[in-house]
Amino acid sequence: MNGGGAVSLTATRMLARDWRGGELGVLLMALVLAVGVVSGISAFTTRLQSALEQESHRFLAADIAVSSSRELPDAWLEQAQQRGMRTARTLAFPSMVYAGEENMYLASVKAVTGTYPLRGEMTFSEQPFGEVRPARSGPAQGTVWLDSRLFPLLDVAIGEQVTIGEADFTVVAAARTEPDQGASFYGYGPRVLMHYEDIPATGVVQPGSRVEYRQLFAGDVAVLGDFTRWLDARLAEGQRLLDVSQGQPGIGNALQRAESFLLLAGSLGVVLAGVAIALAARRFSERHNDYVAIMKSLGATSGAVNRLYGSSLLLLGVVATAAGCLLGWGIQAIFFGLFSDQLPVQPGPSGIRPYAIGSATSLVSLLCFAWPSLRRLSLASPLRVLRRDMPLENRRSLLDYALGLAAVGLLMWWYSDSLQLTLAVLAGLAITVAMGLVLALTLLRGGRLVGMSAGSIWRLALAGLQRRGNANALQVVIFAMAIMLLLVLLLVRTSLIDEWQTQLPDDAPNHFMINIGPGEVQAVDRLLREENIRSEALYPMIRGRIMGINGTDLPRTDDREEGRRQRETNFTWSDAVPDGNALVAGEWWQPDTEEALVSVEREFAERMGIRVGDELDFLVGAQPLVATVASIRSLDWQSMRPNFFLIFPPRLLAAYPATFMTSFHLEPENKLFLNRFIRAFPTVTVIEMDVVIEQVRTIINQVSAAIELVLLIILAAGSLVLVAGVQASVDARMHESAILRALGARRGLILGGLLIEFAALGLFAGLLATVAAELSVYVLQVHVMEMTYSPSPWVWPVGILSGMVLIATLGVFSCRRVVSSPPLALLREL
Amino acid sequence: MAGEELEILKGINLEIKSGESVAIVGASGSGKSTLLGLLAGLDQASGGRVVIGGTDLGQLDEDGRALFRGREIGFVFQSFQLLPALTALENVMLPLELQGEGDARAQAENFLQRVELGPRMTHYPRQLSGGEQQRVAIARAFAARPRILFADEPTGNLDTRTGGHIVDLLFELNREEGTTLVLVTHDRSLADRCERCLTLEAGALVSP
Repeated sequence: MNGGGAVSLTATRMLARDWRGGELGVLLMALVLAVGVVSGISAFTTRLQSALEQESHRFLAADIAVSSSRELPDAWLEQAQQRGMRTARTLAFPSMVYAGEENMYLASVKAVTGTYPLRGEMTFSEQPFGEVRPARSGPAQGTVWLDSRLFPLLDVAIGEQVTIGEADFTVVAAARTEPDQGASFYGYGPRVLMHYEDIPATGVVQPGSRVEYRQLFAGDVAVLGDFTRWLDARLAEGQRLLDVSQGQPGIGNALQRAESFLLLAGSLGVVLAGVAIALAARRFSERHNDYVAIMKSLGATSGAVNRLYGSSLLLLGVVATAAGCLLGWGIQAIFFGLFSDQLPVQPGPSGIRPYAIGSATSLVSLLCFAWPSLRRLSLASPLRVLRRDMPLENRRSLLDYALGLAAVGLLMWWYSDSLQLTLAVLAGLAITVAMGLVLALTLLRGGRLVGMSAGSIWRLALAGLQRRGNANALQVVIFAMAIMLLLVLLLVRTSLIDEWQTQLPDDAPNHFMINIGPGEVQAVDRLLREENIRSEALYPMIRGRIMGINGTDLPRTDDREEGRRQRETNFTWSDAVPDGNALVAGEWWQPDTEEALVSVEREFAERMGIRVGDELDFLVGAQPLVATVASIRSLDWQSMRPNFFLIFPPRLLAAYPATFMTSFHLEPENKLFLNRFIRAFPTVTVIEMDVVIEQVRTIINQVSAAIELVLLIILAAGSLVLVAGVQASVDARMHESAILRALGARRGLILGGLLIEFAALGLFAGLLATVAAELSVYVLQVHVMEMTYSPSPWVWPVGILSGMVLIATLGVFSCRRVVSSPPLALLREL
Repeated sequence: MAGEELEILKGINLEIKSGESVAIVGASGSGKSTLLGLLAGLDQASGGRVVIGGTDLGQLDEDGRALFRGREIGFVFQSFQLLPALTALENVMLPLELQGEGDARAQAENFLQRVELGPRMTHYPRQLSGGEQQRVAIARAFAARPRILFADEPTGNLDTRTGGHIVDLLFELNREEGTTLVLVTHDRSLADRCERCLTLEAGALVSP
């Protein structure tokens, strides 16, 4: 048989007609949405990732860097240059800067070579506090750039001289920003930038000085990996390799969570679209059973039928994939439109991969969700041309379900690259399905008993629920799945945004003060109060060294190495657990205790292998101190409050010399307060974090906006599932209602019955969805997003009510024709 | 239904000669449609044989029967059974294209002219009246030049006058094409126009 011409002709016409009839709408939209969401979010995260990487390189001013307190070998620079890489050197150290006889100030000096920075850019202004301009490289030999704030402090102007050590320099510009400003340990005081070659002339850098040498390297990805390994093998004690992972923790963390959220949203979008596609395909195939019967009676073989529907599906797939990729491109373009001003770097191109993932999603969706229904069409009996009441060939085999589930799981995994996330969502879905079937069947059975004595609308509705028990149970499960996924997304998004807002409120501390002498505490506090500046409490701070655990000395290495070793750190004392800290083991001490106790931060304790009850040896100044670990605390490092690894009871530390620290919030227009403050307290060091915090806040606001947008898109996918789910049962319900109409039932009775029936389904679905959503959110937040879980009571009324209202409205709306069209016309059509 | 066997047709022994026109009459539920389904190869009997022109339909699988139907058999149904997505012309072309006929369009046009639907060829089924739809169905049935035509209550959904026209058309084409006609109906007067009339009662043939 040669039916090729007929098949292709009929496939296009059939699609066109079904499109006009609205039957393809849900299928096509679900497919377009699936492809669009997947490719859009994936393109967005890819580009965001590239921006992030550039951003972290920028924070290093290089691709990788090595830092040490001693001079680093020149051979490394030569080796890198031989490999075609670019190099630079920096040296940071604190030093007094003098202007004339009278004025001097402790500044944070940084000397850079002419090639610095390798990544990102530095900025300067021609006058202090003037217009900010990008600079190609740092100061020339014999010149310096000063922090704007230093000009009034030293009482100098552009063109005048300052002295560092034994060398004089001409001030030529105001230093504004460097890419790796935040990364430097000695980046505290106001900045002085000078040329690297001028260091010997100053004579300030002597062996044993508190200095930080850095070598910076940048090059192609291919060369970089090789060189990093080469370098890593040559690092000696005290030499540290810095790479992109030491970027900006604040932004990195927020963006990573946002990325997890977007991937979660995308995965849920795929599941929702998959369900919608499966439902729509099933309805499509039910409606096409009669057509297939006719074609078969005219001599079409099952092969011809498969070819017909296969090519229809292919055509649909091609159109939907193209439209979906376009949608995806639009989604990521809108996202970057939101971001463009705020991102400090230009995001790279997303490449073709996101659209390949989108197209693969389309293919898998069609093969695993749509084709099983359509494939059964070829099994339709031609006898239906004589007997319309023949059962439909639409039963799905266990294999079909298994295939669909496997497809969803694999797609999610491939797409999110997170097995945990995939399993959390699949587990949530499995719970919904299992509970749904049990609960729905039990409740629907119970409904009949209650309904027996109810009024006639109720009897009609409850009888309807009962009669199609199995179909209704399936429908409840599908509704519940859709509502659950939407609730999960809503819950995660809400807690994510809440957490960001609590972490960085508008008045979050953006400056730190350290080195406040005991005699200055009251005066500092008074000055802050007078100027109406909100500050945290003043914490005492003692610098000490942890020497050993339980009598055994720890290894001695460089202070900046990670891991189990002797190291210098800051202690504080407190009678109470400080805000933002939580005990995870042990107990807090009684106020005014005289015991030698200590509370240790959790990560610090893990790194050092410290447990509650251990005895720790410290050295404070030259005096030894022994204390027993009373508790382990967890704390939020992103809180911008003063945080401490080690806290002691106040009486224990009373004898040791302490300085104090605090953090406070300063509005940009009050910035000059710092100068008044520093004149009043010249020995106090102020750490300015305001620029970084503002940047973090802006980016987080944009990420929040992107998240809201994704939520809307996924809501659309969820609505599609609801529409498809309602439509799946509309034919049967319309048929019954049409018979009732023919028998003279009033409009109110029929609509009322349908309303109650759908509202009951929505109620069950909402209830199930809420339970399963809370469970999945718990797993997702605790294990995937690493956030703290808190229950959300508001989700219960929202989940249940929205389930009822949505399903009832959609259901009655879809069936409205039953009261507006003549019953006979409906009966004939259905 | 479990465990209880239901016998719908019993001991039917029937021979229809080429070119003959036969009516099968009987009350609702007497098994007329079941018999028609079996004769036309739309269904498979649980016992017994249906042989058409030397081909035992029981020996063919569903696809084999579909090919056989396409080649040898035409249908006219009570509810027309046109594909709503296709125009009148395309509906008539469909069986010809399924057969791989080269000049499907010309042949289909010819048959539509013969049922006097020349001006309405590009209309969709929903734009046609019931009588017109049944005429399209008749054109479709004859277009593939089947050896046997099965008609199931061809006037059942039509008013008396339109039904009369349709029947005239059906018999006229049947005569011109020399087709064997098997017709299932309630309508005694329609049955009387056939050369032979068989009556089914509770699944068994009774003598007229």
